[in-house]
Amino acid sequence: MILEMARIQIWGMKPVLERVIPVLHNFGGMQIDDAHDVQDVMVQPLTITEEMQSQHEEVDLLIANINGLVDLFSRFKKPGGEIETTSSDDFITIKSRVEELTAQIQYLNNRRKTLQDELISLSKYSEMLKVIAPVMPDSSKKSSNATLRALVHESQMRAMNLLSQQLKLLTHGKFEMISVKVGDATMAVIGIFPFEMMSQVETFMKNENVAQLMLPEEYSYLSTDEALAHLEKKIEINHQELDEIDNRFKRMADNWFSRLHTWQLVCRDRVDEFDAYTRIGETEYTFTIFGWVPVENLESLENVLKSNFGKKVTLNIIDIPDPLKERIPVAMRNPDSLAPFEDLVKMRAVPKYTDIDPSLLVAIFMPLFFGMMVGDVGYGVLMFLITILLLRKPKKGLLGDFLRALRVGAVWTVVFGVLYGEYFGNLGESLGIHPLWFSRSESSSITSLILMSMAVGASHILLGLLIGAWNAIVHRSRHEAWEKIGMFTGLVGIIFVAVSLVTKLPGGFSIFGWIVLAVGLITLALSMGKIGFFLGPIEFIGVIGNILSYLRIAALGLASVFLAKVANDMAGMVGSVIIGVVIAIIIHALNLVIGMLSPTIQSLRLQYVEFFRKFYEGGQSAFKPFCKRVTPQIITSISKS
Amino acid sequence: MEQAIIALAAALAISVTAFATAMAQRAIGSAGVGALAEKPELVGSIIILVAIPETLVILGFAVAAIILLGG
Repeated sequence: MILEMARIQIWGMKPVLERVIPVLHNFGGMQIDDAHDVQDVMVQPLTITEEMQSQHEEVDLLIANINGLVDLFSRFKKPGGEIETTSSDDFITIKSRVEELTAQIQYLNNRRKTLQDELISLSKYSEMLKVIAPVMPDSSKKSSNATLRALVHESQMRAMNLLSQQLKLLTHGKFEMISVKVGDATMAVIGIFPFEMMSQVETFMKNENVAQLMLPEEYSYLSTDEALAHLEKKIEINHQELDEIDNRFKRMADNWFSRLHTWQLVCRDRVDEFDAYTRIGETEYTFTIFGWVPVENLESLENVLKSNFGKKVTLNIIDIPDPLKERIPVAMRNPDSLAPFEDLVKMRAVPKYTDIDPSLLVAIFMPLFFGMMVGDVGYGVLMFLITILLLRKPKKGLLGDFLRALRVGAVWTVVFGVLYGEYFGNLGESLGIHPLWFSRSESSSITSLILMSMAVGASHILLGLLIGAWNAIVHRSRHEAWEKIGMFTGLVGIIFVAVSLVTKLPGGFSIFGWIVLAVGLITLALSMGKIGFFLGPIEFIGVIGNILSYLRIAALGLASVFLAKVANDMAGMVGSVIIGVVIAIIIHALNLVIGMLSPTIQSLRLQYVEFFRKFYEGGQSAFKPFCKRVTPQIITSISKS
Repeated sequence: MEQAIIALAAALAISVTAFATAMAQRAIGSAGVGALAEKPELVGSIIILVAIPETLVILGFAVAAIILLGG
């Protein structure tokens, strides 16, 4: 149902404006229009103060911070699930909590980076020492000896050997050198010498520009084996600390993720309030707000404004100027059971304010056509069970609408399955179950199927034309009303002619049909003005084409039943029962999937193209109320008795 | 022989129109996906535009049925 809308103007004293916007936001039932777009009004755009601008920037920054936190936590927690739409946190609380969280996250991130950098270098040392350790001589383990380690290119080994001889001279023969290959072209050179000669050896190495493998200070005085053990222990500690940081992030994600989503919405509500200010007009002492509200909510809005502001704010209902009548926002209200079909209607186009809400019609005819096309008890039961299973968790958007519509379609599928006698194709027939109406798999029934499809199409189109004519009469569009009546009459005439030809009725029916057809065509032509005598017949042929389009009910039905027949026949042809059942299940599963998708699209297409064109224009904008995404939760203190 | 020609005629009526539908839907489908990438709210219109050429194959089916039933 399309709600009746009222155009309103709210006047008030400027000092109360800052309270009016949150009150209207909490009310949530009014659409605020831009005062700049209103003609013939002596107001200027509201001046946005610097304080307001800086608050707006503060909120934008907070939203950016929250988005960053959400991105980080989404690595540790799967997004999804219901977002809490009530919150007791005000803006200041949110801001301080986000700052605390951000500080904690920064600390943990910095610590993680430090640990990771440390791990890289420790791992490098550890790898080197693991290669060197097995070849270290026993003399390196003596506490009176020191060890130096250097990494050189293998081309420099000759120079290193010369250096070694010089060091032997320097240390009076007490210098021992070992080399081992540690990389593709890298040699590790280990020198062992008395501890007391450390400074002399180091000075010599420095003068000769030999780069030593310097371990971190805490390991530099340890032997190779000791240093390796300490390094490995440190690496293990670092890994444990990194795991602990990840666990802390996971705990923070568990605690804060859904609240952060709620806070995103709270901040967006705040941004909406700032944006609302840009649509308000002002004079020297007053402000004015233009907008739309459903007529049924007018009284409650008046009461809200009166109770909060008394006489300082007034609400006036104003006339809707002619240019604005094409742009009245459309608010629809339907029972919950019609919600998926309302969304499907909006998917095509939001209805115009003067249109009829076709949600109920789509809810009746779309599942009916779906059932006619699929028409199988087995498939219907399976589809119903699948939709029940999938809808245990609430699904939003197109998928949710599709599943809810499919659930209703499954019921009609079972009904028509009983009428056609189809239980997983012709399996029912082989078990002795006969159709109540006709069997689609028999060649003799194809004519009945085609006639049924055409009859359904003709009835549906006639209904659409009736609705279109009635709508045109209500809105006093004479030409359009006569056009619909002419088409309706012509169609009735041609149905009489066709029926009398097919069923061999008395000749009078045929003549009557021709007369009615002629009257219809003439009415149609006259309603279209001067070129009506050319356009009228063309439009009428278009309507015949629309009826022929309903043959898809027969075509898709036949495709479904013959694929099911193939599944059953192939299962019977194979020698083994088990393999036969497997083949049948596979082909029936394929038919089920096709049966869920294709008839949905085709029955929806019949609504959108053939049916809607007779009475539905659409294309208006939807009613966008200025409402909160998150309801503030008022916490009341509980007094202890 | 006559039966064979009737069967061939019905097969041609369906197959040629199905091929024509497939060619039309190929172009519409690929353009539709491109439009949806920029404007997801067009999904309803795109579904309808893709389904419109199926009228060709439905009419082909109607002709095939007339040929077979007439034969």
